Amino acid sequence: MAKAADDIRDQMVQLLPRLRRFATGLTGSVASGDDLVQDTVERALRNLHQWEPGTRLDSWMFRIAKNRFLDIRRSQKRSGIVAGDIPDDAPAVTTDGVRGTEAHLMLSGAVQALDGLPPEQREALLLVAVEGLSYRDAADILEIPIGTLTSRIARAREALAPWAPEG
Amino acid sequence: MEPTRETLSAFIDGELPPGEMEQIALLLAKRPDLDAWVRQQEALRAGIKKSLSDLVAGPPPEKLMRSIESAPVSWRWRLRHAWQQPLLRTWMPAGATLALGLLIGIGLSPPGDIASRGGQVMAQGALASALNSKLASERGAGSGPRIGITFRDRDGHYCRTFDTGAESGFACHEERGWGIAMLAARPNAEAQGPYRMVGSEMPDVVRSAIAARIQGEPFDMKAEKSARDRDWR
Repeated sequence: MAKAADDIRDQMVQLLPRLRRFATGLTGSVASGDDLVQDTVERALRNLHQWEPGTRLDSWMFRIAKNRFLDIRRSQKRSGIVAGDIPDDAPAVTTDGVRGTEAHLMLSGAVQALDGLPPEQREALLLVAVEGLSYRDAADILEIPIGTLTSRIARAREALAPWAPEG
Repeated sequence: MEPTRETLSAFIDGELPPGEMEQIALLLAKRPDLDAWVRQQEALRAGIKKSLSDLVAGPPPEKLMRSIESAPVSWRWRLRHAWQQPLLRTWMPAGATLALGLLIGIGLSPPGDIASRGGQVMAQGALASALNSKLASERGAGSGPRIGITFRDRDGHYCRTFDTGAESGFACHEERGWGIAMLAARPNAEAQGPYRMVGSEMPDVVRSAIAARIQGEPFDMKAEKSARDRDWR
């Protein structure tokens, strides 16, 4: 019994690099990302009965992280910590439009520009372009149709184009 | 043909159907502007991935590792796993009242509707209330645990099956209340939603335990109501 739980904990440790990378990209800082990962791990263990054995643990945890990120963001917005949100269909980020809080100073260039994307575009791009998930798997995690995912990724790419290195 | 940005983006991710992937590749060879866009985006993707990977390179923070090592694991998950162990599967159909020691022995903390009293696991709260007063015919009414069949065990106690949505089992009436005789986590309880189990969906392990303990036939509606009206005495 204890061994089964330990096995799951070990699998989560193996997933940490990817979860931390995803969460850092989502939140815009390593520290916030690690807080999000800790929250995600604790929730995943507490709700492990909701994970269907035989399905991908990584996908399930990415989904928890994404949902927690949006919950935290909504809650911060309500308490005025986040001044405003960018709608999903917002136009491309302007080259000087990156929000410059202290946490973001840790990041640079295109990664910093990620933070200027609407969260829906950011999470879609991160799952596919950084974590290498298929459109099908990413759409499942984000609980959206593949067409919506395709569109969000394309818009994210257009928005980030100014940061792309010259070909 | 002028491909949309979505098509080019899906091309970068290798998500177009094979024939279309080839068409776009041929087109890029003739269109330096589109080819440049694709190459820039590929470089951007590689850059973002490398930057983020570098940021989280190295060992995870100790606080995070401690959290993984010590955060509590879902008791429902552990219960489900415990029931897959041969020892419990063999032991439980013997039918004795579930002892708190057993729950503790397999590393479980009892759920809210179930508590330890005098070393035994007893129903409490909404579960006790349903066992006391709910009839099987009320399965669709309101929320809360559902009651399945009622029967007498070989010691003459009234026993009733229940379903909380996440677990099912049966409890037998004793002087101190309803002792949990069997508790089994329901596989995929969340997928099915709470309170949807009908008798035929009862886990085998619960069915076996009832078979080992039942005396006579399950009660019909009239006998069930009559026993309830006598407060299960």
